[in-house]
Amino acid sequence: MKERALEVDFCVVGAGGGGAVVAAELAEAGARVALLEQGPGHDPDGFTARPPEMLAKLYRDAGQTTTIGSPPILLPLGRGVGGTTLVNSGTCFRTPEHVLARWRAEFGLELEGAAIEACFERVERSLSVGEVTPELAGENAAVARRGAERLGWSHGYLRRNARGCVGSGVCVFGCPTSAKQHTGITYVPRAVRAGAELITGADVRELSVVRSRVRGVVARLKGGERLKVRAGETILACGTIHTPLLLAHSGVAGASGQLGRNLSLHPATAVLALMGEQVNMARGVPQSFYVDEFAQEGIMFETVAGPPSYAAMALPLQGAEHARAMARYPHLAQLGLMVSDSSRGSVHALGRRPVIRYTLGEADLERVRRGLARIEQLLRAAGASEVYLPLPRGVAPGTARRGDLRLMAFHPLGTARADARARHGVVDGDLAVHGLRGLHLADGSVVPSSLGVNPQITIMALATRLAFHLLGRPVPASPKLASTTP
Amino acid sequence: MSDALRGFVAAAPWPERVGMRALLAVARRPRGARLLARAPLLAQALGGTLALGRYDEPRLAARLGWDATAVAARGRALRRAEGRP
Repeated sequence: MKERALEVDFCVVGAGGGGAVVAAELAEAGARVALLEQGPGHDPDGFTARPPEMLAKLYRDAGQTTTIGSPPILLPLGRGVGGTTLVNSGTCFRTPEHVLARWRAEFGLELEGAAIEACFERVERSLSVGEVTPELAGENAAVARRGAERLGWSHGYLRRNARGCVGSGVCVFGCPTSAKQHTGITYVPRAVRAGAELITGADVRELSVVRSRVRGVVARLKGGERLKVRAGETILACGTIHTPLLLAHSGVAGASGQLGRNLSLHPATAVLALMGEQVNMARGVPQSFYVDEFAQEGIMFETVAGPPSYAAMALPLQGAEHARAMARYPHLAQLGLMVSDSSRGSVHALGRRPVIRYTLGEADLERVRRGLARIEQLLRAAGASEVYLPLPRGVAPGTARRGDLRLMAFHPLGTARADARARHGVVDGDLAVHGLRGLHLADGSVVPSSLGVNPQITIMALATRLAFHLLGRPVPASPKLASTTP
Repeated sequence: MSDALRGFVAAAPWPERVGMRALLAVARRPRGARLLARAPLLAQALGGTLALGRYDEPRLAARLGWDATAVAARGRALRRAEGRP
């Protein structure tokens, strides 16, 4: 078998939200960086705005990764340069202050104040984060806004990482205009321009560990070639599901007993409604508006939308009823529900595949019930003539059982959680793996609790903080941002 | 089943792939369809996947106001005009 060797200062595994940020910041500081990505680089010329084709192309397992438990939860994950940032909705929230305060109290993590503020600002500037305008948000957001205003519920337009967006309506199926500023077109090109070596199709099989020090990784390249990367520091950013599998396979990071545990994932679902006016949900930014009236209860609403095939898949009707509702697709509106979960799951390997276990706890089941009831209330207040709850016929939100729910989740977190104490966490407050030298983590796996908001800015801010920690420098202060997306 | 939907099913993890193909085979038989009607969650999973394929069909999508080819072409044109990646 052919073998290729590479020697660098930093080996970063995974070119998604965490890895791309670390790689760019390190490379721009003059370090020698290798950035290994298991998936391919995606050419936006191949983005067809057709969901089935794009699911198969841009998502791991065509977006059909599913948890085992009650209920099973669909957990779509991006694959390739950009990772899940390539296929997310682009929503940007900073880590809520009450979450940072909880992390300090519960996990001994000192992440509050000016230092993390500088990380948020640096990331937001890099990604052109700004608030969606009502015009760009489209009619689906107008429906949600009308309902929230009539009920007096707290709401607003979301901040997103987009530039030059024209509201193509397919953020999660590959942005055809490259308006969404995912890491594949922001941080990765920056890293490469600064001299980082990007290697796609690199399936990292194990870490090279010598006497409690990680010396790099061994990967298999497309075509079977073996790649050995020798590095002073290795940074894993394979994502919440796959990072713990690589650590476990390499026989490291298991001393605390926390590796692969503490999985939170923001269980989510969505409700469709028939409106009197034309909504044309796929015209505009699909995820553009939020209702946070119940955020303190762990319940958040965000608009979601997509082309007819997407809506048809989500519509919880059968046969002729389904066809009748779909015939009125231009009049359908949709609002999503996301729960800040206290349930915890786990991930372990079966062969080389992840087995993800997660059962919705009683408190989260109650949050989903309350959330569905309130979404129905909002959509009725907005003028919906029919509301299609994702529940079996005859089941009301308040009486729904686990098995009645159709859930998805988009934000897996916590499977190698940070905790200042080695007995309680996999990494310390600087994201260094406890008990090992030369290994840090930079993805959602380190996030020790549910956030209640979309996590990409949290993950990227932590990655920025890590990069400057590795460089031994403070994060530079950034100029203030404009408030609205151009 | 369209090529896109066939590709979508083929790219699924093996348990889902095997399950979906079995459900599709069952649904093609009249007795199978009646059986599925008694298992609403399975019927919904199958129905959702079939609906994904059916409403992706360009003529049907166009009747509902969605032209994927035009959306993708506009994206390409904007990217080129503005020199985006």
